[in-house]
Amino acid sequence: MKQDLEWEPRLVGFLCRWCSYVGADLAGTSRKKYPANIRVIMVPCSGRVDPLFILKALRLGFDGVLVSGCYPGDCHYQTGNYYARRRMAITKKFLEYIGINPQRIQASWVSASEGGKFAEVVTAVTEGLKEVGPNKLFADERREHRTKTTKRG
Amino acid sequence: MKDGNIEQKLQSEARALLKQGRVDYIIGFEAGSLKFTTTPLITSNIADIDRLVINPFIVNNLSVYLTEVKGRVGIVAKGCDSRSIVSLIQDKQVAREDVVILGVPCPGIIDLSKVERLAGKDRDELDDITREGDRVVITVDGNGREFPATEVLFDNCLGCDFPTPKEYDVLLDAFSPLVSDKAASQEKLDKLKGMAPEPRWQFWASEFDRCILCYACRNVCPACFCQRCFVEESEPQWILPVPRWQDSLMFQVVRNIHVAGRCTDCGECERACPVNIPLRSLTREMYDLVDELFHYQAGMDKEAPPLLAAYELTDVEDFIR
Repeated sequence: MKQDLEWEPRLVGFLCRWCSYVGADLAGTSRKKYPANIRVIMVPCSGRVDPLFILKALRLGFDGVLVSGCYPGDCHYQTGNYYARRRMAITKKFLEYIGINPQRIQASWVSASEGGKFAEVVTAVTEGLKEVGPNKLFADERREHRTKTTKRG
Repeated sequence: MKDGNIEQKLQSEARALLKQGRVDYIIGFEAGSLKFTTTPLITSNIADIDRLVINPFIVNNLSVYLTEVKGRVGIVAKGCDSRSIVSLIQDKQVAREDVVILGVPCPGIIDLSKVERLAGKDRDELDDITREGDRVVITVDGNGREFPATEVLFDNCLGCDFPTPKEYDVLLDAFSPLVSDKAASQEKLDKLKGMAPEPRWQFWASEFDRCILCYACRNVCPACFCQRCFVEESEPQWILPVPRWQDSLMFQVVRNIHVAGRCTDCGECERACPVNIPLRSLTREMYDLVDELFHYQAGMDKEAPPLLAAYELTDVEDFIR
């Protein structure tokens, strides 16, 4: 019960190296406030994000995943974010079908100059996850002793 | 069975292909060791061609062997199989000129377990199962009983839109028209969609609790052609080799996303599953999803780029913040 009261969502952010990661940096240097619930992983491009990463994050118990990249037309590699957009559309809908709350899978376009937008996105996603509640999708009481042997993020 | 003529035509075509040296191998079906079943026949020997059969039990999607057999290949393909071949061509796994497609206009394949349930008998106790137009006659102890064909065809056949191959070099005659029953085909999916998210998740969790990670679904899938699958990677190790429902479900979901736009709803994964996980309820949903989102159907155009290796400027992005 004590744990429930203290619960804060944990969010993984896959940020593209050229836009969103720089946007996140800018949010910091411009002293924008945003929740510390996000753990950032830098990727070369939003097109690098295999849906496997999203599933693995949920499997490890993270409450949500945010994939963020450059606006359409702004990709450093010209087209990476267009592929990411297709993949994310499919992933989000398919995970919804098997019973995962779509709020847990988020995508955004944040450019290098949008520190403010980055803070807004992280705030909104975190608030959304607080409504959805802890990710117990992969929890399994019957086999808890086994899962404990796996490394947790 | 009425399909004798079609069988003869197939055999003479296959024989000619081998004799003229146009192909190195023929991939087709021969009678299986169990009653009514068929089994894949891969041969370069003209003497084996007599064993080729065509009947309503040719269940396998033979295109899975294309990436494994070296040289030029003549292959027997139903509607869904020919789309799998086109999909492999799109992905540059197979060259069009290396394949001679012997197209079979498919009447829908008979699901022997549905027959057993209808007849109330084991398949070994049945004398004969024949397809007559839109009916199926099951003969037990000399007495024939007629049923609508829709009651014995596989679910995916009932939902099939393209039973006749679009891509082929030789098209054999049709021996029965396909009968479809879209509602029956979607029944399991509709039932799942009617459930709340939590019970739906619990449903899949309990189904995948049976999974033994044998990877038969992946091995029979022509769309799963990766030389090295992510499940076998050890750095990082995405999935432990011990079967646990969490990992099994994660594997299957990621597999489905990987084959999005390649899956032709041939239903092989579900048939191959030794523990009867309703995998088609996942694959068909993905099949419908790519159609809904991108108006894309797998294996229809050999010139088109694969779904996930292409984009449109106007693709959906209403979900992106």
